[in-house]
Amino acid sequence: MPALIYDPAYGRYSFGDDHPFSPLRVAMVLDLLWELGHRLEPVAPVPATRQDLLAIHDEYYVRRVEELSAGKPVRDAQSYGLDTPDTPAFEGMDEAGRWLVGGTLLGARLIREGKEKRVLQLGGGLHHARRNFASGFCVYNDVALAVHSLIRRGLWVAYLDIDVHHGDGVQQILYDDKRAMTISLHESGQYLFPGTGDVHELGSGVGRGLKLNVPLEPLTEGDSYLEVLEKVVPPALEHFKPAVLVVQAGADAHYDDQLADLMLTTRDYEQIFRRILGWADAFTGGRVLFTLGGGYSLSATPRVWTLLALLVHGLPVPEQLPETWRRRWGRVLGDRPPTAFHDPSPLRADIPNRAEIRHRNLQVADRLLQGARPYWF
Amino acid sequence: MLVRDIMRSPAVAVSPDTTLQDAYRVMREQRFRHLPVVDGERLVGVVTDRDLRLATSALAAVPFPPGSRVAEVMSRDPLTADAADPVEDAARTMRERKIGCLPIVEDGRVVGIITGIDLLDALIRMTGIDKPAGRLEVRLPDHPGELARLMTFLAGRGLNVHSILTYPEGSESSRTVLRVASIETRQLAQELRKDGFEVLWPPEKPCPR
Repeated sequence: MPALIYDPAYGRYSFGDDHPFSPLRVAMVLDLLWELGHRLEPVAPVPATRQDLLAIHDEYYVRRVEELSAGKPVRDAQSYGLDTPDTPAFEGMDEAGRWLVGGTLLGARLIREGKEKRVLQLGGGLHHARRNFASGFCVYNDVALAVHSLIRRGLWVAYLDIDVHHGDGVQQILYDDKRAMTISLHESGQYLFPGTGDVHELGSGVGRGLKLNVPLEPLTEGDSYLEVLEKVVPPALEHFKPAVLVVQAGADAHYDDQLADLMLTTRDYEQIFRRILGWADAFTGGRVLFTLGGGYSLSATPRVWTLLALLVHGLPVPEQLPETWRRRWGRVLGDRPPTAFHDPSPLRADIPNRAEIRHRNLQVADRLLQGARPYWF
Repeated sequence: MLVRDIMRSPAVAVSPDTTLQDAYRVMREQRFRHLPVVDGERLVGVVTDRDLRLATSALAAVPFPPGSRVAEVMSRDPLTADAADPVEDAARTMRERKIGCLPIVEDGRVVGIITGIDLLDALIRMTGIDKPAGRLEVRLPDHPGELARLMTFLAGRGLNVHSILTYPEGSESSRTVLRVASIETRQLAQELRKDGFEVLWPPEKPCPR
C-alpha cells in the first residue's frame, strides 16, 4: 500500500499571502482527493531535529535561520540568502522548514525499512537550498537530506528533478558523491533562474559522470520533453543501478505557470508520472519517493499533484472536476477556471520554431550522454 | 576588476639555464603552459609549451636536443602588465599581440602571471553566473539616466543585482543584461513593462486558446 505523508503544520511554511509558494496548493490537492471520494489517510511525520539538518547544513546557517525564526534581527542575513525578496524571513520559519524536512526524511525511512515502496510526501522538494544559503523559496534542503539519509546507510539513490528550475542545491551538495546520481530536466539556465544546469556540469571527483543535466529550450512542449526524458533516464538508471529513486515533482513546467516558459499540460504530466513509476518498477524494485516542489499556477498545480497522488495509489484519473471543489476554490482558479480534470488537448498555442526547439532539445540530450557515458565504463 | 584579482601568484618560473626537459617536466607536473624565465629576479623571457614542442619537433630543420637551455628557445623581452591594470586592458593587449599570457611585474620582480584561461574565469565572474540568479534583458534608450532609472526600479524592490552588462545596439539604444537575485523575473518583467521599459527577456508567454 503506497503511503502519503502530510501534516497540517506544513501550511506554516508560508511567505505571506502574496507570495507564489502558497500552502493553498496542497490544501487544494487534499480537498480534491477528498471530493473525488478518496479517503487516503496521510501518515504524519515529526519535525526534523536540528541534528538532522546538520547532516547537510552548516551550523552557522541554521543558527541564523533560528534567530530570524524567533523574530531576532540578523545583520548579515542577506549574505546567506535569507530575508530576501524571494525568501523573506517569517516567524516560525525554522520549525516550518523542519516539518517539511521531517516529512521527506520519514518517506526515506519508510522505504529504507522496507515498510513502503511508493511514497508521496505532500510537501518539500526545496531543491535550491545550499549548505549555507537560502535561495528560490528554499531554506532547508529536504530532498538532499533525504538522499543523504539513504546513501549513508548504503542505499544508492538516483534523484530525478522535473521542476522547471535546475535542482542546483541538491546537485551541489552531492556533486562529488559517487553514491548519488542526480538528473535534472529544466528550462535552460541561459534563460531561467538559477542560471546553472548546463550539460557540462557532470560532477567532480568520484562523482563525475553522475550529475546529469538536460537544459531545455523555452516553450518546450510535452512531446519533446518526453522524448528527451526517455532518451536520458533509462540508460542512466541502467548504468547506475540505484536502490531508491527520489523524485522532485515540481509542477512549474506547466504552460500556465507564471514563473517559467515551458509548455507541459496535465496529460504530459500523466505520461511523465507513468513513465517514472514504470522505471521505479524496472530499476529500483518499485522503491520511489516523490516530493512536491515548485508549481505556482493555482489552477494547474493542484491538478498535477492530485494526478500524481492518484497514479501513485493506482487510482483512476477522473474526467471532470467535482463541482463542489470548483466552487470552493473558484476565487483562486483564475479567469477561465477548468471544468475538466485534464487540460484541453491538444494544446493550441502559437509556438514559433516548434521544430527547432525539438531539434535543439534532442541535441542537448545527445551531448549530455556523449559527455557522461565515458565515465560510466 | 583588476589583474591582481585574477592573477596566479606567485608565478612558477624557471631560469635561462633550465633544460628543455626540466621545463617540460614542470609544465606537465603543474599543468601549466606558460613559464616566466627569470635571471635572478629580472624577467628575461617567457617559455611556453608551444615553444618546447616546436623547438624539439622532428619536423624542425634542426631539432633542439632535450638538454638545450630554455634561453635558446624562449621569447625574449616579453610584454608584461601591472597588478593594478584593469583586466580588460590585459585582455586587449593579449588579443592584439596574439599572446597567451602576461607576466605581472612589480618593481622589476615577477609577482604573478595571467593567461587566457584566467581571463575566461574573469568573464564568468563578471557575468555573475556563479550565483543563483534570474536573467533580465532590457532595451534602454541611449540617454543619460536610463540605466539609473532601471537600477532605481530594482533597488525599490530590494533586489540584489549580481551582474550587469550593457552594450550599444545601433545608435539609438543600448541592451542591458542583468542577473538579479530573484526567481520571479516574469513578475518583474511585467512590472517593468507597466513602467514603460522595453523588456526583451523574459518575453510574454504564448497563451493557449
